[in-house]
Amino acid sequence: MKKITFLFFLTFFTILYTGCQDNGPDYPSSDNPTVVAATTEIYGAPNKKFEIKAALADDLGLKTVRIQIPELSLDKVITFETDPLLTTYNLSYFFEIPADRGTSEAFKIKLTVTDVSNNSVDQEIKLRLDGEFDAPAVTMITPKEGAVILLSTSNQMPVNFTVNDNSGIDFVELKCDALGINELVQLQGAPQSYTFNKTFTLPVTAANYVLTINTRDKFAIPNSGTLKINVVATNEYPALYLCDQPKGTNLTTDAVGVPMYFHEKVGQDFTFKYYADSDNKEVYFLGQESDFAPHCFGLNSSGKLADDVASSPIVLPTKGYYLIKVNPNTLLYTVTKYTPTSKVWSNIANGLWHDDAALRRPFVSVCGGGIQGANWDTWNAWTQTSLHLANNSNNPYQLVGEYTLTGTMECTFTGQWWDPSWRLIKNGIATMSPGGNGNAKYPAAPGVYKVIVDTELERAFITKK
Amino acid sequence: MKFKHIWLFIAVLCSATTFGQITVKGTVKDNKALPIPGVNVSVKGTTTSASTDLDGKYAIIVPNKEAQLEFSFIGFTNKIVKVGDKTLVDVMLEESNQALDEVVVVGYATVKKKDVTSSIASVKGKELQTMTVGNATESLQGKVAGVQITGAGGPGAQPRVLIRGISTVNLSTDPLYVVDGIPMGTSINFLSNNEIESMDVLKDASASAIYGSRASNGVILITTKKGKVGKPKFNVDLSNGLQIMNNPYNMADAESYANILNKAYTNSGYSEYLPNAEQYRGKTTDWWGAGINKTSQVSNASIGVSGGSDKNTYAISLNYYNSDSFYNIGGWERVTARIANDFKFSDKISMGITLNPRYETWGSPGNWADFDKIDPITPIYKPADQLNGTENEYSIYARSPSYVWNPVASVARYDDYTDLYNLNTNAYFQYEPIKGLVFRTQGSIEIGDKTQSIFRPDFEIDAAHEKAEINSVERKNTTNHDWTWQTTATYSKTFAQKHNASLMVGATMEEYNGNDVWGYGEGVPNNSDLMREVNAATKNRNSGGNSWSSSLQSYISRLSYNYDGKYYLTGTFRRDGSSKFMANNKWANFPSASASWRISNEGFMENTKAVVNDLRLRAGWGKVGNQSLPGSVYQSNIGQGYYVIGNEVVDTSYPSSMANKDIKWETVEDINFGIDFGLWKNKLSGSIEYYEKTTEDMLFKKQFPTYSGFPGYATIWTNVGSMKSNGIDVLLSYKDKKGDFSYGADFTFTTSNVKMVSLSADGEKLYGSSNRTLTIEGDEPGYYYGYIADGLFQNQTELNSHTDEHGNKLQPYAQAGDVRFKDLNNDGKIDDKDRTKLGSPWADFTMGLNLSVAYKNFDLIANFYASIGNELINQNISDLYNGASLTNKVAGLDQMAWNGEGTSNYVPRLSKNDNNENFTKFSSLYVEDGSFLRMKNIQIGYTFLNQFGLDKLRISISGQNLWTLTNYTGVDPEVGGGVLGSGFGGWNYPVQPTVLMGINVGF
Repeated sequence: MKKITFLFFLTFFTILYTGCQDNGPDYPSSDNPTVVAATTEIYGAPNKKFEIKAALADDLGLKTVRIQIPELSLDKVITFETDPLLTTYNLSYFFEIPADRGTSEAFKIKLTVTDVSNNSVDQEIKLRLDGEFDAPAVTMITPKEGAVILLSTSNQMPVNFTVNDNSGIDFVELKCDALGINELVQLQGAPQSYTFNKTFTLPVTAANYVLTINTRDKFAIPNSGTLKINVVATNEYPALYLCDQPKGTNLTTDAVGVPMYFHEKVGQDFTFKYYADSDNKEVYFLGQESDFAPHCFGLNSSGKLADDVASSPIVLPTKGYYLIKVNPNTLLYTVTKYTPTSKVWSNIANGLWHDDAALRRPFVSVCGGGIQGANWDTWNAWTQTSLHLANNSNNPYQLVGEYTLTGTMECTFTGQWWDPSWRLIKNGIATMSPGGNGNAKYPAAPGVYKVIVDTELERAFITKK
Repeated sequence: MKFKHIWLFIAVLCSATTFGQITVKGTVKDNKALPIPGVNVSVKGTTTSASTDLDGKYAIIVPNKEAQLEFSFIGFTNKIVKVGDKTLVDVMLEESNQALDEVVVVGYATVKKKDVTSSIASVKGKELQTMTVGNATESLQGKVAGVQITGAGGPGAQPRVLIRGISTVNLSTDPLYVVDGIPMGTSINFLSNNEIESMDVLKDASASAIYGSRASNGVILITTKKGKVGKPKFNVDLSNGLQIMNNPYNMADAESYANILNKAYTNSGYSEYLPNAEQYRGKTTDWWGAGINKTSQVSNASIGVSGGSDKNTYAISLNYYNSDSFYNIGGWERVTARIANDFKFSDKISMGITLNPRYETWGSPGNWADFDKIDPITPIYKPADQLNGTENEYSIYARSPSYVWNPVASVARYDDYTDLYNLNTNAYFQYEPIKGLVFRTQGSIEIGDKTQSIFRPDFEIDAAHEKAEINSVERKNTTNHDWTWQTTATYSKTFAQKHNASLMVGATMEEYNGNDVWGYGEGVPNNSDLMREVNAATKNRNSGGNSWSSSLQSYISRLSYNYDGKYYLTGTFRRDGSSKFMANNKWANFPSASASWRISNEGFMENTKAVVNDLRLRAGWGKVGNQSLPGSVYQSNIGQGYYVIGNEVVDTSYPSSMANKDIKWETVEDINFGIDFGLWKNKLSGSIEYYEKTTEDMLFKKQFPTYSGFPGYATIWTNVGSMKSNGIDVLLSYKDKKGDFSYGADFTFTTSNVKMVSLSADGEKLYGSSNRTLTIEGDEPGYYYGYIADGLFQNQTELNSHTDEHGNKLQPYAQAGDVRFKDLNNDGKIDDKDRTKLGSPWADFTMGLNLSVAYKNFDLIANFYASIGNELINQNISDLYNGASLTNKVAGLDQMAWNGEGTSNYVPRLSKNDNNENFTKFSSLYVEDGSFLRMKNIQIGYTFLNQFGLDKLRISISGQNLWTLTNYTGVDPEVGGGVLGSGFGGWNYPVQPTVLMGINVGF
């Protein structure tokens, strides 16, 4: 009797249990899924992402793939759609190695693929952290990006750069189809450093050229890199820049405004407006934006304007605003001090918002991207008081502040609800009337920058502190 | 001689007739031994009748000892007594349980309750008077099926009243209040509970269509107390109590605050904000204690006298209500008087006049949240070394680094009070030239004057963040003068004994006028009380003023018919013309029809009479409107804004809104089915009703298409969209008496389901409340819309697995302890498309349970109210749990917040930056169950009858809102709001527990 009772309850609870199972779709039995890893050994490095690649397949349908590296706290399950069933899947999963892991460490990546019939297979892939992933580093000596070669002076283009790589350099290649340059340097013995130095002759007609430098290293999984340099060969200068920095200064560390782009150009007559913030300010005119070479206009020994990297600076005797005209062809220039007549906005700086309009003091802040604390919401611009610009007590036409840049930046300097506002367009121009020009993006290294908005010059100067 | 015999015969005959007649005398009283004047005493089977006098006494001649006397009076059960040998017959009448003969106000008329064909609920004034509240609707909560009331805290606050849910999105949801036949707008804050005789709620359109264009949210008809024939009766009602204000949160003390912020800073990679937290031990500033009183007083007093004769009745009352705020200043005070006189010149002519003067004053700070939010380290006053003796009295307070303005200082500066004087006069004249035909004309005039005075003193608590460099004074005066006039003619006739018909036709006119004028100035020489005048301002004087007017003209009619008290038909028609609408749609028609079948009066129900005393089926249909439009509907406006043109910022003008000449009323069409029943001598009675409402031509503010040339922000109101709602109302009532013990219970149950049927365009999404609510076709309006917070990341493995199929992190800034948001559409991004419905602000159902028990002279009542199935947004979570701000947090947050695997799956880790947007993303983190059960009122009383020289002396003690059961962790689960922003709880002034003592004297 006890046996019968036992069997009855066993049957009853078995039916009950079976009846309570998840009523998901039932799939017929099928073959095991397959997994084919792209490689059985993956190189990684601390603080770097690596990719897990594998081809998954199942004759009926894939259900999940689970990726596990317990030591690195990775346990990811990717669940596939089952309507319709997926029979193949190319796994491409990236994962970043934590920065605190050692380069000598190695782990096993476990892939578990399960199909809809609940068949599963495992695949292990070895992960080494001693990988190298950087392409050879190219350092341009000449020409720099955006270099201007004045054909009337010389049609020779020296190309000089160095290449460095820890795992050794396989080859260096310089190409420029327009100039017929195709130099491939296959290096022997995998040197860690190589210098390329060669001069090419340019046609006498004005043109823009792109030099392409391709490199590859000798790591187990080779890393390749490409650098493109734009060069302008011209009979006249497309632009001139006013530089008030001493020679030798790195002109690429600023985000915006150094050297300063011209204000007006008629033929080769360039006009600058400039504010000398102290007496005896020294300035040069540059034919290119990022370097003092090859065209630097200063004074020669006889006090005349000369295109000479060794020239002396032009000295502006007293503090104040100047109108400067210069012609790089005729090598003539004039310097005229003037008193601005544009609207003074200094009264709006150091603003204080208040619900009561009578107690409200306007302000100028910033909206944009790449600036810590800023976004495109003017409400945010108000509430983030650290973004507010202050009045420069020495110059009513300047608003000053300090921003932390997080990368490529773009911005509009603004008061409440864009009233007033200055949009930062290309060439460092901060203008209230941008016309059709949108906000320009300026690459910048993360860090703290000094900000000057000159409403008379309509220029912004954002320089690293 | 012949004539002599005839006279003799007549005399003998008369003597014979008189012989055997008996004069019976007596007194009729109620169960409290109070005489009832006006009781009809008749000899059953004859036409002989009399009525009781002011003392309840009567005398009547009956033909013989076998005669039966029948005593009847409205509201009481008829009583039949056999005379027998008695010549003194004293009678006590019992109040009727079901009171089917009670009169119900139906709009421009009254009918007996048994003859009502539409959905009308009635509440007696004495039921409302069991609570001491500023707004009478507060005590209506839970007492009427189909009416949802959301309480509002604060002196003078107005509860949200929804009759059968909502029927509009952008317009007001408040019902229309009609007091003694005069439409009074959408608030009855002006009315004391003690002035109310009864409230009748017109729930369906077949009942409310007679109020046409203002009835879409239902109509509440209020009848105030009138005099009754009898000796002068004085009534004094006093209640006084304390409103309790407990701090809803246990905030951190100084040391705990330092620990919490230090943790938030160090978790974000910064150094500690307040190093050595233990140094703050015992140095907590008790902000709450410094500015918020634990109790505040509430008082209610009323004295009244009523009485009169057959020719003239009167009722005079003086009512006072005061509710202090829980600050040291401010509150709400109201004094009203009501003088009602009714005159009956003859059987044909009567008239009456009611005067209702009123005075109100109110104003109180609104910054109680700051007492919790300000940091507990900052002292209230600046230390002595920071004072130089030249500061004014408002500048001696300390500034908090938390950016919360010093709340004690804010209260000290507060000076914003409003005084209101109002006089309402309501008079009628009634003439009945022939039996059944009644002409009635009624008019009312209301004049009001409201003055708001504001003074903001100058102060400097902190030169950069907390100051007013110059003081300012402002005064605004608003006056209104409104009048209404309505005239009706009603003819009622019974044909062939069984056909009862009544026709009413009439016309109404209403006009509402107002104007305001204000003056503003700055630079008052000093902040003294005497100088707080606009005339004393020395700078920036400014002034303004405006006036407005609206009017409504209507034609009304009602035709009622019933056959033998079994089959009822009622039809109403109203035609409204409103000044609020343009010429193309100036007039609109609002018809209704309803029918009922009183089954219990059928012959085939005779056998069930012992059980079924009343059984009735009802059905109704009607159309009503909503004309509560903003002015911009019919105005074309020019806006102002600044543009940069060239190099100059130019002050410009642009068309900001355009009148729509085709605009018309929102129309609500409504059908209603109901069953009413009374069982076992009406001990158990009730009704069950089902309704469906459809709103058409809903009003939405839309932008112009870009090709129109209007700026993007220029708008126009248009009639687009529709919505539908349905639900059931249930009322069950049980009353019984066993000897000296009587008891009763009323249970109300209300559901309301509402859905948008269409919007202005297919697939349109209507966002509200800063994009936190969504309204779309096919779903309820204003539901919460945001991200799903799927718990907290507990460890690095969970963080690493929260990626798309290629390993890209869905929340790149997340750390363990941050909120995990769900990628609902599996597109590998957490963005707007992952938002979904998070909950509903609308309750699935509401319930009320009203219990009453009496034993001898003791009585006990208890009212419960429950709202079930809605969610609430607890906005305070951000203030209380977010380490990004410097405001104070709840005590122990450093332990409550996630601080290691498994420590919390709800309160995110403390972070100064909140880079993961735990709190800035609107998510289910903020959504809580908003259901609650609240004991609204419990009251125990003892009544002395005919003692101490008084007719009645009742002493009571009561507690209001003493107990609430809810899972909601915010301030109070009763949260109102507009349709698109309902249920957002924050630092709203809570509905406070209140303890009261009351005394009621009648003599």
